[in-house]
Amino acid sequence: MAAKLTEFYAQAAKQYGVMGRMKLAMLTKISSEKAGNEPDSPDNIKLFEQAMLQLKAA
Amino acid sequence: MKITTKLGLLFAGMIIVFVLLGVTLLAQMKSVSSGYDALLASPVRDIDAARVVQVNFKKEVQEWKDTLLRGHKPEDLAKYSKQFHEREAAVRNGAVALSQTVQDQEAHELLVKFIAADDVMSAKYQRAYNVFVAGNADFKAADALVRGQDRPPTDLFDKVVSRLDARVKSTVAAQQLSVRRNQSLALGISAGLLFLLGLLGFLTVRSIVQRLAALRGVSQRLANADVEGLSIDISGKDEIGEFGESMKGVRAAIEELLHVAQASSKAA
Repeated sequence: MAAKLTEFYAQAAKQYGVMGRMKLAMLTKISSEKAGNEPDSPDNIKLFEQAMLQLKAA
Repeated sequence: MKITTKLGLLFAGMIIVFVLLGVTLLAQMKSVSSGYDALLASPVRDIDAARVVQVNFKKEVQEWKDTLLRGHKPEDLAKYSKQFHEREAAVRNGAVALSQTVQDQEAHELLVKFIAADDVMSAKYQRAYNVFVAGNADFKAADALVRGQDRPPTDLFDKVVSRLDARVKSTVAAQQLSVRRNQSLALGISAGLLFLLGLLGFLTVRSIVQRLAALRGVSQRLANADVEGLSIDISGKDEIGEFGESMKGVRAAIEELLHVAQASSKAA
């Protein structure tokens, strides 16, 4: 389970709504459904962190 | 490699190939031109000079006959003997000049023999002339002294002309062979380079077109929000690869949107 990646989606939804989730999917190229099956690897976490920073900056 | 770089390299390759072809053709033209220049400078010039001497020699003999035939009149004797001596000098000067410039050894040796034979013949003609004048235009006595004397130099000079003519023909044949060889080489190189360039261009264009077709299929499915089982296998570090990567983001966004919509409809 990718608890951390799913958490990023929850955070995006909370802060930016549906648009935030869509943008996060677009930036990471991983939808929330697929994020649940992806490992919480350092690379994936870094990818989501950078995407969150971009969401924040937008 | 970027598509722009690939196309730029292909274009540069075409220019280089055409420049190389141009340089090769110019070099070949220069080689052919210098070959024919060399042909004109020596063998053709020699055979021309030899034919002039040959004609002068025949005219010299003709002038001698005119001298005997018409020399009973003093004015004709003066006229034809003058013309005879002019031809005689032209033959000797022409033969000497040719012997000094001719490059063919055999022709040179024949010319030396001809000059010697011509000297002997001239001395005999002079004696015969003296007999003709002293004998009150006794052409029979004069002719008896030189009859058949022009044969050895004539035969010798005919051999000179034949030898130089054969040399011209062999040089022309060698030059034609060289031109044909150069033409074949130029054609081979041109065909090889153009084939290589064509093959590279074909492979480049085919790769671009195939990947664009795959990209078009992906974008059509994304346009219909048909992302179920959609695989985007468009790799590469060029513009198409970058576009394929963007499509993966679009696919994820559509998946996310569909997921949200599905969750909303369930909640409702």
